[in-house]
Amino acid sequence: MVIDRRKAILFSSAAALRFILFFAFPSLPDLLTGRVEISTPVTSFKRLQEGLFLYTHNAPLLLPLFALVPPSLFSPLTALLYILLDLLCANALIKITESGESGSSRLFTSPRKDMKWDSIAVAAAYLFNPFTIATCIGRPTSVFTNCAILYAITQAVSGKPITSMLTLGLASYLSLYPALLLPPLILLCYDRKARDTKTPPAATFSTATFVSVFSASIAWFLYLSKVLTGGSSEYLASTYGVHLLLPDLTPNVGLWWYFFIEMFDSFREFFLGVFWLHLGGYVGALCIRLRTQPLFVITTLLGIFAIFKPYPSISDTSLYFAMLPLYRHIFPLMRYTFFAMATILYATLLGPAFYYLWIYAGSGNANFFYAITLVWSLGLSEIVADSLFAVLRDEWEVERPEMKGKDIRQI
Amino acid sequence: MAQGIDAGPEDANFKVASSPANAQKQPPPESPKSIKTRGFVILSFWAVVLLLGLPVWLWTTSIHRARLPLQHMLDWADGKTCKPTFPLQITIEAPFLQEPEAAHLVRMTQHALDDLNEFSAHHLRLRLAKSFLSRDFQNASMTSIEDEYAIGPLTQFGNTDGLDEEALTVRLQPQPGAQTARAELQSHSTRLDVFYVSHQSPSVSSSSSTLATFIATKLQELFAEEQAIVAYILQSAQTMGHAPQISSSASSASREFRSRSHRSLNPELAARLDSRMTRSLKYAPTYHITVSLFTPSAAPSSWEIELALAEYFTPLLDSISGVSNFTVDTQVQLYATFSPSVHSPEYDAEQQIWTLREEDLSGFINAAEWPLSPSIGAGPTLNFVLYVPDRSTSPLVVRGSQASSWLIPQWGGVVILNPQNANATLNEATLLKESIQPALLTFSHQLLSFLGAPQTPPSLPLQLQTLTRIRAASLLLSASSTMGSLAWVTVALPSIAIPETVSSAVDTTLGHLRSTCEALKEGRFKDALENARIAEIQAEKGFFEKSMVGQVYFPDEHKVAVYLPLLGPVGVPLVMSALKELRRLWASRKAGQPG
Repeated sequence: MVIDRRKAILFSSAAALRFILFFAFPSLPDLLTGRVEISTPVTSFKRLQEGLFLYTHNAPLLLPLFALVPPSLFSPLTALLYILLDLLCANALIKITESGESGSSRLFTSPRKDMKWDSIAVAAAYLFNPFTIATCIGRPTSVFTNCAILYAITQAVSGKPITSMLTLGLASYLSLYPALLLPPLILLCYDRKARDTKTPPAATFSTATFVSVFSASIAWFLYLSKVLTGGSSEYLASTYGVHLLLPDLTPNVGLWWYFFIEMFDSFREFFLGVFWLHLGGYVGALCIRLRTQPLFVITTLLGIFAIFKPYPSISDTSLYFAMLPLYRHIFPLMRYTFFAMATILYATLLGPAFYYLWIYAGSGNANFFYAITLVWSLGLSEIVADSLFAVLRDEWEVERPEMKGKDIRQI
Repeated sequence: MAQGIDAGPEDANFKVASSPANAQKQPPPESPKSIKTRGFVILSFWAVVLLLGLPVWLWTTSIHRARLPLQHMLDWADGKTCKPTFPLQITIEAPFLQEPEAAHLVRMTQHALDDLNEFSAHHLRLRLAKSFLSRDFQNASMTSIEDEYAIGPLTQFGNTDGLDEEALTVRLQPQPGAQTARAELQSHSTRLDVFYVSHQSPSVSSSSSTLATFIATKLQELFAEEQAIVAYILQSAQTMGHAPQISSSASSASREFRSRSHRSLNPELAARLDSRMTRSLKYAPTYHITVSLFTPSAAPSSWEIELALAEYFTPLLDSISGVSNFTVDTQVQLYATFSPSVHSPEYDAEQQIWTLREEDLSGFINAAEWPLSPSIGAGPTLNFVLYVPDRSTSPLVVRGSQASSWLIPQWGGVVILNPQNANATLNEATLLKESIQPALLTFSHQLLSFLGAPQTPPSLPLQLQTLTRIRAASLLLSASSTMGSLAWVTVALPSIAIPETVSSAVDTTLGHLRSTCEALKEGRFKDALENARIAEIQAEKGFFEKSMVGQVYFPDEHKVAVYLPLLGPVGVPLVMSALKELRRLWASRKAGQPG
């Protein structure tokens, strides 16, 4: 009861804050919609609006959803929709936290698992994260993907692998890259399933089931899109082709755009392959190394995506930062939190300034903005690497309790 | 990038770490499980590199080189495949002669022609037309049933229709009372009237005839310039087209050919043709023509140019549409002043004219202020400028020659239009189409010379025919040499990609070159030109393919710069960890063997 009241207060205050931002500052949504840090070519709300007429760049299923909204009520209703999505995400986070998966999974229980934030605090950290709020006001379509990913995890930790796979299928259908989360999510589903039943189910059989459900879900969404677009398959090239081939080099907070502006044309395809393989290369290794904590594999992968995916924005960062508080217990083991947070703050403040200098004032050039996105990525990768270190150290202290609290030195 | 990667393989290392407090104490050995995990992690990274990265690398950096028929292309460029010949069909009408007599005359004239002609590629073939006295002479050549003297019997008549175009009709007419034969060329048709003295007509038995020699000389004269131009084109193609000789066999055939054509061209003529060729424009399928009216005052402010063009200019453009297409636009510019470098006209009191210095003609066009844009339409632009001088400085002519029009090479022509008579004052504001006519006729001549048409013979249809032939020849040669250059480029630069579009363009070019060559051999010159135009366009398309050119400037050492960032931060951790792992495996095997 107490929890419910706190939850109600949290949700209503978060919604109220967003309502105030939406309606007290009517120019704010449009301003944020145009920011490169929030809107990438594949997730931009402006392009979604254009897509309502042109049916490109966004996965087609989103379009009928928005097409249902009458134009006169378009702005307030979409605001309502995005606020709702944020609250849904927060709700998913609450469920994930309450499952306790982050502290003790089937194969591993952290000695620090009691040092955790409760679910309301985790949700509040998400809802009042400035990145989340800016994303909500800027209305990129990546919010849908984020929500789908969070719900896929929620379903997995609640022991509902089939719905989890279906939801991940939706997320992959929307943005392609969540498909890389399939292996850790399968592990997570399997672990939860095995924990609930006395005898663990057959690993290969479950994996095959999960994979086929996932593929069926994607196939279903693609079929539905094909029907909705009148039997044409052109949307495939214009949605997933954009993710894979990076035709639009509008600046964003990621690392791809500048690299591919500078790249020789003849090596473009090769380096597209390299960048995508780099993104996917971590999946296998992390799953093997952190087999005992699949939820942390997912968290780390979300962090890696926020840095290295083709069209990242701060909404991806906000998703990573939403998952990170689940690992409150490893925070004391992290070594460079101050440095990382300072870097991120620095990049957050200087990024828009440098972008302004480059695009509007004309006194800077593209290198200004690219340098600051490098700093941003450095800060994020610092957090990813540091949290990874902390989790591994946490594991190690289970193995060797006598080393607790002592410094680590590589030999 | 390195940071993220390092996090994977290195994480296992700190397991063997020890705290500084008891540094001397050896850390406990790694558990077999963690060693195994590390092996798998390294393996997973390498699996991505080898199973996915390697195919991606091979697939994306392989250069697609479509197969090109290199030998054929080089043969075309060397002139081995096709020796263009220009058999011109000339019909002789002799309505007043008996048939055997006429046939004999034709045979003798042909012999005389063959003796006169030094240039075998371009030759005239005579044949006798059967015509009837009752026919209207004007149409005689069109409607006559033709007797194939040169080619064969009448049975071939059906399929020779359209097979060869008639270059010229020679009509023999007796002219009683005249002392010598004379020839008259119709300026608006392809007919040469020869008036002979009755007694000149040869008897069947005689072996020589003054009339035959006369006709042969006349014909030779008519086509002398064309022959010279064709010889010049073939020769310059031979000398210039093969700068990049790949095949060391600098084709003895072409060398022989070159020396032969050298012989046939005297240097004086060659120099004249040279200057003509530099004046004329490079071939383009479409030209844009801008006709401009410039005047230093406010009048005339309008002109009936649309009407005038339709009446005097468009017919010409239509008749040469087989060679190139034209788009035309017009403009009027008032208060157009000379550029400051040009001396203002001087008054010649003796002749009561205003004169321009000849050396000022090149600066006459005020490029800075007159709106003559270099390129408006799809193709190159030809400018024709009609300059109407102010009343106070008219008539205005060029000093010395007293000419009022001149050509600017590769650019266009200028005509100074001096008001011809007093009644021009009546309608000063508007130039009537009648007063534009002479200027447009001058422009027509200038246009023809820009296109490379010969000055002689004075018959327009003949000139156009000649233009067709020399265009077909030059396009054939230029497309062939483009093929040669393309072949050379692909051989010399093994690193450039050759997309399928190039290969198909080459195939189309070669096919059309073949048709051109055949059509030339059979005397179907219009057909030849049509094919040659397609061949030229396709050859250029293939040679200037964009994706091919980009790679030309990409030397191999640049690849190091491209791969180095990849090999550094990604390659080093991968390779080092793999080496470490392999060493461990080796060591453990060695340790396992004795124990």
